Amino acid sequence: MNPSPAAAPGHRAEQHADQHAEPAVLSVRDLSVTFADPRGGAPVAAVRGLSFDLARGEVLGLVGESGSGKSATGLAVLGLHDPRTTTVTGSIRLAGQELVGAGEPVLRRVRGGRVALVFQDALTSLSPFHGVDAQLAEMYRLHHPDAGRAEARRRAAAMLDRVGIPAARVRDYPHQFSGGMRQRVMIAMALMNDPDVLIADEPTTALDARVQRQVLDLLGELQREHGTAVLLVSHDLGVVAGTTDRTLVLRGGRPVESAPTATLLAAPRESYTRALVGAALTLDSVPGTPLPTVDDPSPAPRTAARTGPSDAVAGAPPAPDRHWLVEVEDLAVHFPGRRRGLALPGRGRPAPVRAVEGVSLRIAPGETLGLVGESGSGKSTTSRVLAGLQAATAGTVRYDGVDATAPDRALRRRLAKEVQLVFQDPYASLNPRRTVAQTLDTPLRLHTALDAGQRRARSAELLEQVGLPAAHLDRYPHEFSGGQRQRIGIARALAPEPRLIIADEPVSALDVSVQAQVLNLLMELRERLGVAFLFVSHDLAVVRHFCDRVAVMHRGRLVESTDRDRLFAAPHTDYTRELLAAAH
Amino acid sequence: MLSFALRRILQALAVLAAVSAAAFALFYAGPADPARAACGPRCDTGQVAAVRTSMGLDQPLLAQYTDYLTGIVAGRDVQDVDGSTRHCDAPCLGYSYRLHQPVTEALADHLPVTVSLAAGALAVLVLFGLGTGFVAALRHGTRTDKLLSGFTLVGASVQIYFLGYVAQWGLVYTTGLLPLPSYTPPATDPVAWAGGLLLPWIVLGFVNSAVFARLTRSQLLETMNEEYVRTARGKGLGRLRTHLKYTSRGAAGPLVQLLGLEAGALLGGAVITETVFGLNGVGRFALEAVEGQDLPAVVGAVLLAACFVVLFVALADLAVAWLDPRIRLG
Repeated sequence: MNPSPAAAPGHRAEQHADQHAEPAVLSVRDLSVTFADPRGGAPVAAVRGLSFDLARGEVLGLVGESGSGKSATGLAVLGLHDPRTTTVTGSIRLAGQELVGAGEPVLRRVRGGRVALVFQDALTSLSPFHGVDAQLAEMYRLHHPDAGRAEARRRAAAMLDRVGIPAARVRDYPHQFSGGMRQRVMIAMALMNDPDVLIADEPTTALDARVQRQVLDLLGELQREHGTAVLLVSHDLGVVAGTTDRTLVLRGGRPVESAPTATLLAAPRESYTRALVGAALTLDSVPGTPLPTVDDPSPAPRTAARTGPSDAVAGAPPAPDRHWLVEVEDLAVHFPGRRRGLALPGRGRPAPVRAVEGVSLRIAPGETLGLVGESGSGKSTTSRVLAGLQAATAGTVRYDGVDATAPDRALRRRLAKEVQLVFQDPYASLNPRRTVAQTLDTPLRLHTALDAGQRRARSAELLEQVGLPAAHLDRYPHEFSGGQRQRIGIARALAPEPRLIIADEPVSALDVSVQAQVLNLLMELRERLGVAFLFVSHDLAVVRHFCDRVAVMHRGRLVESTDRDRLFAAPHTDYTRELLAAAH
Repeated sequence: MLSFALRRILQALAVLAAVSAAAFALFYAGPADPARAACGPRCDTGQVAAVRTSMGLDQPLLAQYTDYLTGIVAGRDVQDVDGSTRHCDAPCLGYSYRLHQPVTEALADHLPVTVSLAAGALAVLVLFGLGTGFVAALRHGTRTDKLLSGFTLVGASVQIYFLGYVAQWGLVYTTGLLPLPSYTPPATDPVAWAGGLLLPWIVLGFVNSAVFARLTRSQLLETMNEEYVRTARGKGLGRLRTHLKYTSRGAAGPLVQLLGLEAGALLGGAVITETVFGLNGVGRFALEAVEGQDLPAVVGAVLLAACFVVLFVALADLAVAWLDPRIRLG
């Protein structure tokens, strides 16, 4: 979801000018939030000296990267920090009433009554043990002690109806709804008592682009209907652009810049904001060009878009009889279905879940194929088959002209060397108990004939190749930031000199500016080493920037597979068109 | 939920069938000769052979097993060593040649003691384990938490035969605060029943509560970090009510499972506790059966214990499914 900054609606900025005269409903002055280190180290300041006003009915975007203190600010307003480990100082006034240091009875009336919260992941934020109507009814009764059960239920049903949950489903449990529906429930619950302020902490980050748009639209509608002031916490400038009146940029717990959203996006004053805006990929970037980052806001331009692997690998012109590195024919992956009811003879096996069905793909040497789709579309399962981590139910996989559907020992060894993986989560994909040197040593020991000294030298070289100093070889993963860890993961993948790297959402878990850095690194390495990529992503802007060809998956099937330019200029199928529309 | 329950019950029955076969195999395929054991040390070879015939041990193994299963379902006639025939009512778990009594009858005599002991001990275990675990979790990191955790560690490390004797010495012999442990049928005198079992309940419950208390604490601490708990607080719910309504619910699964296992194990007979306090329950019965090489009685006791474990584990699974709609509704 990366709409162009220019798409921010202008009328919102005008509205804002009128609202300035009204007194602020929420007024934050010199707010600091400090966490005690659980291991007894120096306390960490999450928010330092933050001040802002939120007018009645205004939508304020609180934008920043991880660790910027944006979520800590939201929790501080509700006094939800654990007082034993967190110190909150400064002032938070809700319509004149001071909340910092207020007692539990005061805060309990505020929470859910006058200030309500919407969290990122509705599946984990809603109680899994109670029907959604009961959860909404509880919200109502907590702040209307005289209301009876029946009235609370009736109001809950009405509110659920307003956000588009059919009456027949109001007693269902959260896990029975789709991600978008769940977030609607969460929003309905937050607005149950018509609060003055709604704090929405990354409300759509966990959703697919199409659903994200729908939920944001609903949030906007309800906000206008109820006149609620909204504090929208997000890392995504695209979300903020289309939704907020004003935006406040945070970095390291300090305010960087605050301005009407349209102004901020069109003409950012601070270099950090400029970098954030520039690093957010849009659908009109020049594919393959280096992206601006916080450290390098205007990289040496490369005017021409990358046109394909021939550009990178000399002497490999595309030809009809061209040689393919990977050919997948009619791939199917089925998972056994869940048994419902008794396993009586004659009932047969439960119907399998068809995760992937009839998918055919090809990747040329040095080429980058983007695999796009929403969650559950089967893109990760397809990539897992290519990585040898998942057996195919049907179909064939050929690698470098050899049948690799059921590889023998020798071929498996070769694939283990030549096909490498980069994972989404840079925290979970590195062993926390091994140093970088140990992590990089394993693939070298397994796949090369180098001795220990040579392997260490090669590890240092690899680390420098991904932009980290060789002196960091003996550090452990926890000593690195998310972006640095992803670089280590990339270095590990490069160690055995692979021909194909399968990258499953490699930048999705990273902050925008870090995302740009890692993409720049991947593009540079691709040019230098001529390695082919299967790049799995839900983010169309990233795919468009990085990939030569794009395959679109929907419900386990391949919907469209074509050149990057052709796909984005003239999508063939309705589904692709819908995906593109949601990303704009 | 219904089909889940039916499936779980079928599974339980399958496990019981497997356990009964294993116990039966232990009896007849094991190294001890049941006929010699039944006949006694003074029998000569001819008498042992006669006993073997009267016990049906000369029949094919499968026929014997079928007989045994038939007895459990419908009852059967059994021959005592002296040649007299007795009817053994269903569920017939065999005939004890040592006691000259059907095993089921003998077990039924001892079962009330064990059930009484187990029920009270479980109540103590739950009250004490949940209580200390809950308080420790709410006050985690404080001195109260450390004190309670240390106290439960004492429970985990101390042995029943030690604590039992110390408690008896301190509470019964020296101070006379509690009566000497004994069993009175609750129908006869409920006060004497509870009084006589109070000390065994406390000792057995306390010793077994350590694991439960620690699991309660760690489960609650883990669930407190769940986002839905934060949401509940964000709705304006107080801390205690949040923990009672949401945190406890989230933490309950593994606790219920553990409780099911504990209940099954305790009902199978608490050999050491019964011995220490001189109670004549299923545990003592099984111990005497083993000592007296009374194989039918041993097999009967094993099967009864297995039934309790399987039953309560299945009940725990059903309770967990009932508590969590994600399991119940898939």
